[in-house]
Amino acid sequence: MEFFNAFAVSLQSVWSDSGFAAFTVGNGIMIVVGLILLYLAIVKEFEPLLLAPIAFGCILANFPKTGFMEDPGVMQAIHYGIANEIFPPLIFLGIGAMTDFGPLLANPSTLLLGAAAQVGVFVSLAGAMLLGFNVQEAAAIGIIGGADGPTAIYLTIKLAPHLLGAIAVAAYSYMSLVPLIQPPVMRLLTTKKERETVMEQLRPVSKFERLVFPLVTAIVVSLLLPPIASLMGMLMLGNIFRESGVTDRLSDTAQNSLCNIVTIFLATGTGMTMSAENFLTLSTIEIIILGLIAFIGGTAGGVIFGKLQYKLSGGKVNPLIGSAGVSAVPMAARVSQVVGQKAKPGNYLLMHAMGPNVAGVIGTAVAAGTMLAMLK
Amino acid sequence: MEQPVTTNPFIIMCINMTIVFAVLFGLSLLIRLIHAVDPTREKKKAAPAPEKKAAPVAAAPMAAPVQEGVSPEIVAAISAALTAYGCSGFQIRSVRPLPQNGWRQAARLEGRN
Repeated sequence: MEFFNAFAVSLQSVWSDSGFAAFTVGNGIMIVVGLILLYLAIVKEFEPLLLAPIAFGCILANFPKTGFMEDPGVMQAIHYGIANEIFPPLIFLGIGAMTDFGPLLANPSTLLLGAAAQVGVFVSLAGAMLLGFNVQEAAAIGIIGGADGPTAIYLTIKLAPHLLGAIAVAAYSYMSLVPLIQPPVMRLLTTKKERETVMEQLRPVSKFERLVFPLVTAIVVSLLLPPIASLMGMLMLGNIFRESGVTDRLSDTAQNSLCNIVTIFLATGTGMTMSAENFLTLSTIEIIILGLIAFIGGTAGGVIFGKLQYKLSGGKVNPLIGSAGVSAVPMAARVSQVVGQKAKPGNYLLMHAMGPNVAGVIGTAVAAGTMLAMLK
Repeated sequence: MEQPVTTNPFIIMCINMTIVFAVLFGLSLLIRLIHAVDPTREKKKAAPAPEKKAAPVAAAPMAAPVQEGVSPEIVAAISAALTAYGCSGFQIRSVRPLPQNGWRQAARLEGRN
């Protein structure tokens, strides 16, 4: 009899300590959301390198009583890396090692296209404030329009960490939808004649320029906007690894092993912020809608400024490259290439569009830096 | 959290866009300055002149050393792409695979950002 009593009490204890006892409907919904995101990542190939670990992190976050955030362990270590802004600058190190600033250096006026495309950030910021978000939350939502994942995560952690899950999912989902979102906006805002513009071949860029540019940019931007010194510094350090010619091993590590490791931690940790109580709110739907507005606004801003450059240059600049100022590298540049080729077969805009594309990375970081300086 | 400078979204947009444009315009001026003071620039100017005087070479490579394993179709595609980019005045000296896979690199860059 004593044996059966002990057995019953033990079973009851195991059940009450299990996740099943504390499992809520919200947890179930979020696990389904995670499975949908996993499907989009693996089957539909929507940014799979990021969305797959985000999705699995979302599923893990909705298992009750795991103690992930309370007990020391790998999950808490990953959360520490996110909460203390360690991972985004390391991702930027890898991005800098992968980025070729040559097209930008050959045509510096494309930097302004990268600036113009940031208007989507502030259009969305205004929309978010109208919907009742405070200014810090609105800034974090608006940065989705910069189409730069690490910068979006960096700014959100500083200004509105409770919105990290929704903003990260919106940002990476829309980045994968760039080929669907941008072309209608580009065709709406340009004439066929403008889309057919053939641009002059870019001049060669020397190694001296490729080496001095990251140094000068890191110094100038870090002194001007210290809050983003870690992002900009790591971006340019990675680029120096790439361009120096004597640090190939470091460049290789930054682009491959380091970037992959940090991506796993960052994405999984971001997914783990998507608990039911954080994600299943009306604000998540509002963020998703505002993210779309930000993307469309950024594309429109870049294209409109591209039209201005077309007029001022006497028809030498194709306005389509303005949409590449949205810093989804290199997808936005490829979209400019595809839309340009549809207007005029044989018109190669890819390298011209890479200029504003990489300028957009710098522009988004600067926009984040100014918002941090004003709003934090 | 400290009090923000302003909560008016229009003012935030105007100030931020002004700063973003100013910073990037300043960077564009710096890039032009770097190009102007480039000490390697003069040497590069002299080198292309003899090439420009030569008659434009046909896009197909003329007995260019091609590394084993690179198919003629790939060589033809590379030649056509170079010509399409306007490089008809150059001669292809060799075709060899790079140690790094550029397409894989582009995919990684796309995945990271």
